[in-house]
Amino acid sequence: METVTLTIDGRQVTIEKGKTVLQAAIESGISVPYYCYHPGIGIDGSCRVCIVKIEKMPKLQTSCSTVCTEGMAVSTRTPDVVEARAGVFEFLLINHPLDCPVCDKGGECPLQDFSYAFGPDLSRMDFPRRVFDGDGVRGDVDFGPTLMLNRQRCILCTRCVRFMRDVDADAQINIIDRGYGSEIATFQEEGVHSLISGNLMDVCPVGAITTRDYRFKSRPWDNPLAADTICTQCAKGCNVTAWIKAKPEWAKGSQLIRFTPRLNPDVNDYWMCDIGRFEYHWIEGERRVRKPLERQASGVQQPVSWDDVTAKLCDRLAAAGTSNPDGVRFLLSAHASHEELFLFKRLTEELVGESGPAAISVSWRYREKQQPAGTKFKVPAVDAPNVNGARMLGLVPGAPGDEVRGADVTALRQAVEAGRVTALYVFDPGPDGSLGDTTWIVEARTRGPLPLLIVQGVLLTDLARAADFVLPGASYVEKEASYTNGHGRLQGTTRAIPTPGDAMEDWQILVNLGTALGVAFDYKSAAHVRSDVTGRFSTITELQGLSTLAFNKPMEARHWLQASNPSERWKWDFMFQDLPPVKGNVDPTSLPLPPGAIPLKEV
Amino acid sequence: MEPLLTRYVREPNAFTLDFYLRHQGYEGFRKALAMTPDEVIEAVKASGLRGRGGAGFPTGMKWQFVDKKSPNPKYIACNADESEPGTFKDHLLMERNPHLLIEGCAIGCYAIGAKIAYIYVRGEFLHVQEVLERAIAEAYARGFLGRNVLGSGFDCDVYVHRGAGAYEAGEETALLESLEGKRAQPRNKPPFPAVVGLYNCPTAVNNVETLSNVPLILLNGAEWFAGLGPEKNGGPKLYCVSGHVRRPGVYEASMKITLRELIEGHAGGVREGRTLKAVIPGGSSVPCLLPDQLDTQASFDGIQKAGSLLGSAGIVVLDDTTCMVWLAENLLHFYRHESCGKCTPCREGTDWLHKILRRIEGGGGQLRDLDLLSSISGNVAGKTLCAFGDAAVTPVLTTLKHFRHEYEAHIREGRCTLPAPWRATRALEGVH
Repeated sequence: METVTLTIDGRQVTIEKGKTVLQAAIESGISVPYYCYHPGIGIDGSCRVCIVKIEKMPKLQTSCSTVCTEGMAVSTRTPDVVEARAGVFEFLLINHPLDCPVCDKGGECPLQDFSYAFGPDLSRMDFPRRVFDGDGVRGDVDFGPTLMLNRQRCILCTRCVRFMRDVDADAQINIIDRGYGSEIATFQEEGVHSLISGNLMDVCPVGAITTRDYRFKSRPWDNPLAADTICTQCAKGCNVTAWIKAKPEWAKGSQLIRFTPRLNPDVNDYWMCDIGRFEYHWIEGERRVRKPLERQASGVQQPVSWDDVTAKLCDRLAAAGTSNPDGVRFLLSAHASHEELFLFKRLTEELVGESGPAAISVSWRYREKQQPAGTKFKVPAVDAPNVNGARMLGLVPGAPGDEVRGADVTALRQAVEAGRVTALYVFDPGPDGSLGDTTWIVEARTRGPLPLLIVQGVLLTDLARAADFVLPGASYVEKEASYTNGHGRLQGTTRAIPTPGDAMEDWQILVNLGTALGVAFDYKSAAHVRSDVTGRFSTITELQGLSTLAFNKPMEARHWLQASNPSERWKWDFMFQDLPPVKGNVDPTSLPLPPGAIPLKEV
Repeated sequence: MEPLLTRYVREPNAFTLDFYLRHQGYEGFRKALAMTPDEVIEAVKASGLRGRGGAGFPTGMKWQFVDKKSPNPKYIACNADESEPGTFKDHLLMERNPHLLIEGCAIGCYAIGAKIAYIYVRGEFLHVQEVLERAIAEAYARGFLGRNVLGSGFDCDVYVHRGAGAYEAGEETALLESLEGKRAQPRNKPPFPAVVGLYNCPTAVNNVETLSNVPLILLNGAEWFAGLGPEKNGGPKLYCVSGHVRRPGVYEASMKITLRELIEGHAGGVREGRTLKAVIPGGSSVPCLLPDQLDTQASFDGIQKAGSLLGSAGIVVLDDTTCMVWLAENLLHFYRHESCGKCTPCREGTDWLHKILRRIEGGGGQLRDLDLLSSISGNVAGKTLCAFGDAAVTPVLTTLKHFRHEYEAHIREGRCTLPAPWRATRALEGVH
């Protein structure tokens, strides 16, 4: 890597050639504010708060647009820079509504934080503020199906404009009018219609763009924990953060309060799609299975204890397996992790022998998403995180890296419909529909020849309603599990919240079931299962990472340290280690009094 | 000095190709085609021609900076977005002598290795666009433009593009953005247009008057051209004298001329019974000069020495009936309206300044507003993306510097103390 060395505030900084002064400052922990710059979008040079003094240049320069050169001497703290920067901050705030107490961004707002650290103490503006659509939260207008827009708060950094133009390759947002009257708008106020629209909330450095999903639901300081995990809703495996709200047990609402993307240049960059971001309510929803269910003779599914359900299930399965070993079949969703797929495989091997795994079929949903042709964030058509994992374990034909199309379960379907299957065990830990079409199973169980249907999963779907036994498992934020994404990258989820009710982590359910069926499973933990995977598949190098795969824990989410926006978080992680941001040594008594203020007398 | 650029503007058919050809038209272009491109650039450099758009940058140098090694096509973008208040020279040239500009564009293309020149015409200049397009069609028909021009093997196309009407579109990078079909907002510099310009290709952006001077250089030689004016200020110059003078208009002169000769000689001086109060010598964006500076040479260097800028040579003459607070308010109304809104200080600062000025002008001002005005102006100047910010605060700073007493009188009396019968009783609120 070619590098250049420059000094910033007297500190020597060595940085990759071609990077800008702002990037050099951020990477070396020197605090320079910025709004229009976003590492994932690029340079605009319009907000002007990143101005610095560069030796031999007559005017102050925007550090975001100045490329580092060898020997450059930059200062960010000289009086002229401090004064000029404060002047720009004053401009940014003269028309900003300062409705921070009711603004969703409050507490994790770069405008708040930087203004506090770099802005003037008082505003000299005494004219009414600019109002576009109505004061306060009444100024919120629809901005498409997922977003709201508050033009009063907007500081016209145009990050949203450039995100849509450069990242999504569909310039739906632009500025209309000009100068003082400039406002963010979409054509004929249609709003933003995009599969990655949620990122606009992240890139917005103020509370102008908020998501309908998260707005008014929580404040940053009400979210004490954040878990760095991955999204498993498709084959991409975006790195995300799951935010957990503090909530008394009896209170309504969910703990899981939002998902935000987390920087991973190899997977998802700074972004995630709206499916992963917004479609998580099923995890703590009404349809979640919280207790094992058993269908009574009356046809009603009754909650039962794990002991009962395991015993009865074993009897039925053993009976079916004894009479016709080929009649017991498994249908697994590709939402199953390596651990779960492996345990199913082991179970069949132990019970039936080497040919056992032939009883296992793996299914997933395949749907092409409508996206602009040039988008830089393509959402895969495969709605499952682990097709490649199933391939490596030999449960799906093909090698990792081969193109994935729709799942093929026609053989299983023919066998079921021909009455050759006496027991079907379905594993479905994903959201409703992620297994693909299952109406034929429901049909076969309710009116057809399938005598026994077992569903291990998370939701009381139509399929689960038709089952004889329902075993409540864990969703992807409730267990530590590993997946191989569409590009063959091994990643793990984090246990962010506990499983609801009596639900158990799926590896545990399978181990208990196997033990009850007489298989000598001695796994004590998911990690134990993983080490067995690496041992038994020692020839598959891609799986060896399982032994060293580190799983995150929910962390204390001090909002200063972990702003929602992945670019901001990067900044907080580097820049403000000893937070909160504080002003320099200012003697409050030396500050000019606001007009009309009564000076305090010393007692 | 005999007019050179505007010699024939009063002739009824001056804009036709036939007329132009009868008066040495396209002779300079023929001479250029007989030279190498580098020789043409050298000639323009030797002539001392400086950009007439406002900055006064040497044109030959600008052309030399165009990245010739680039594999991309090169372009000439002619800046005909004449929008500076008090400036009205370019549209005279384009209307009455369009072939001079077209010839200049063709020579420019030849010199920098471009094949295409775009003339970006101000949105309001519909009539100018029509004249130019007719002239370009004539030039194509007679082989001065198109493929294999005059049998030289050189291809040259000239297009006219009319903007949508924005002052900011006259900023060179905003002009390029607008030409590309985007909002007329400036780009970051560097990279400069000579390296990354129109469609990311090397581009020379030249003013109409600048390009119109080029055929004269080729025709009569660089030395002759340089000798027309004082040192480093060669060639003829068009001055737009407006304001409180008897004969406002465009006057062509050598830059050896003084402001006094222009105002009192050519333009006939201020009206009967009035005295001169101030002169804004280079369009509304430059500091004003006072009556005792009238003997300043009206050249780029002369006016700069006097503390102002020649800019676009839009000389606005103000007599003693002019309220300088009103002047600042009026100009800030313009700048507030024309700010493109891209960068923060200009977008917010111009509006804030205008609000304060309107309050003072309306009689509601306070003395502390004056410090606020200069502080805000200081926060805008030099902090913006393009030169608009500096231009916008200049009227405030210059009137505050020279006429602070008028501001104070406004604040003290709560009204304007000057007799100004011509002034509108109410600000033209909401009018464009």
